[in-house]
Amino acid sequence: MKYRFIGGMVIGFALFPAIFVLADGADLFARKCEFCHRIEGQAAPVNPADKAGIVWVKYFKRGRHPVDLGKILNDEELRSVVLYLQEHAADSDRPAMAAIPN
Amino acid sequence: MKKTLLSLGVMLVWAGSVFAGVGAETVTMPADVYKAILERLDSLQQRVNDLEQEKTVVQPTREQYDKLSQDVDNIYDTLDEVETKTLQDRINFGAELRTRVDNYSFDNMGTRTDLLTGMESTNDDGHDDNNWSNRFRLNMDAEISNSLSFHGRLAVYKNWGDSDYTESDLYVDINQAHRPGTTSLKLDRAYIDWIPQGIPVPLALTIGRHPSTEGPPFELKENRLRQSTYPALLIDLETDGIVGTIGLEQYTSLKNSAFRLAYGIGYHSDFDNSDSFSFLDDDEAGDSTMFATFLESEMPGLPASLAVLSYIHIDDVPSSFRGPNDDHGNPANVNLGDLDLYGIHLQVDDLKKSGFDLFVSWGASRSDPNGKFATYPGYGDMGLLTADGQDKKSGSSLYAGLRYKLPIEMLNHPKIGFEFNHGSKYWISMGNASNELYNKLATRGDVYEIYYIQPVSRHLFFRTGYTRINYDYTLSGYHTGQPVSTDAELENYYLLMDCRF
Repeated sequence: MKYRFIGGMVIGFALFPAIFVLADGADLFARKCEFCHRIEGQAAPVNPADKAGIVWVKYFKRGRHPVDLGKILNDEELRSVVLYLQEHAADSDRPAMAAIPN
Repeated sequence: MKKTLLSLGVMLVWAGSVFAGVGAETVTMPADVYKAILERLDSLQQRVNDLEQEKTVVQPTREQYDKLSQDVDNIYDTLDEVETKTLQDRINFGAELRTRVDNYSFDNMGTRTDLLTGMESTNDDGHDDNNWSNRFRLNMDAEISNSLSFHGRLAVYKNWGDSDYTESDLYVDINQAHRPGTTSLKLDRAYIDWIPQGIPVPLALTIGRHPSTEGPPFELKENRLRQSTYPALLIDLETDGIVGTIGLEQYTSLKNSAFRLAYGIGYHSDFDNSDSFSFLDDDEAGDSTMFATFLESEMPGLPASLAVLSYIHIDDVPSSFRGPNDDHGNPANVNLGDLDLYGIHLQVDDLKKSGFDLFVSWGASRSDPNGKFATYPGYGDMGLLTADGQDKKSGSSLYAGLRYKLPIEMLNHPKIGFEFNHGSKYWISMGNASNELYNKLATRGDVYEIYYIQPVSRHLFFRTGYTRINYDYTLSGYHTGQPVSTDAELENYYLLMDCRF
């Protein structure tokens, strides 16, 4: 019984295409946004926790970014970046554990 | 331009005056000239009026300017009030609501007592469906200063249609916020992180009721970030204590590397509610203290990974964590001896951007009994992992699993996961506050779980899952008594909704 169950689980997972690489907002943010938003860059460094999640959404919806992002990010990439910013926004979930000092 | 025209008009009038002044008191000039001058003055006046009109279009009047200025002052005053209010609101609040339904079925299990004792039962198959529960949590945090922060959580966890206080030796201080009970708020965690300034090593002190539940890798199944300092296989209970953490990143170049020392009290021995000096020791089992050390780090070359080495020593483990005064007719509480736990936890999130999260956790336990035992009616003698508390016993457990983030954007990237754990005959840990009421990681036997997470938004998700437990030995999760063989099996189909904001 339990071996059938294990076998089913293994086959089930094997059927899922692990080769898919998801659109990664974190990676896009690091590569394309931080090109300008860095220390001594063209623009001030940006931390996703600078704004609340819904504020990030409104920020881009209202076109408040001073530079036209159309040449840097396509619509899908921009959506991924905004999702990343939301996931790490000021009001996002935070890890909970005893602090580690640097 | 306006000034020029005005000057010209004034000069014309002045010139006329001068002419008048030079000749006589009255002015004599041709009527057509005088008329022309008046017409010119009218023209200039009209021009001035026009210019004044144009000026009001591009510039505010004095009154408008004053009003705008007043508005700006009001906005500044309002901002001051908002800023002051924000600074006075020292605590940020968040909330969670979980509604869950569990459907249990069991074989060869009989009653709970049979599961504990291994006794034969005539009522050994059955099911218990449609168990609904609500769990509400109020989360708090505050950045008190650059070196001091506070975190807290209050919780209510109850079954639908039931607010009874559960009288059980298993529902105690270390898991009161993680077991369904009354509608009263329980203190789940309340602690400060203090990073003293001006000392030569990066040190953090964490003091209070700790983040010690739902630790790695439970955050995968819980669809959130890490929730505890300790791996769940070894410690998953509500603890009070002090943790000192030295950051090692600047010495080792290993990201998030740290060495921790922890001290806590697992059981405080006192007279409870039956004596005017209830705060004094009851002279029975005495306090049970815990000393622990942990070494953790991100693994080189594996971003978002975690490796934790753990050692925990528990002194003077009592026979009951509720104390003697529970009106259950329990015997006097007995100090049964000491317990040691060891563990290795390895975890990688989103391995090589594949969408896979993997973990493996291994734990071992070793008892050091003192030869004492408590005798419980219906259960017999119960020493530390044996009946008579004479022999040292070792146990171990392996816990492994994975979670995969499906590349389906239109479904908000749902996740599926599979977990397995196996515990040996004498395996014991401190997992009494497990999110699963059956404390699957304490199982002496095999456990399989598969689950599916369907996110709706960043604040709402659903999870459905199936858990199967094949018990090999009795008394899983109990530190007392002699485990014996059993064929008991437990299954659970569950569905839950989590809303966090």
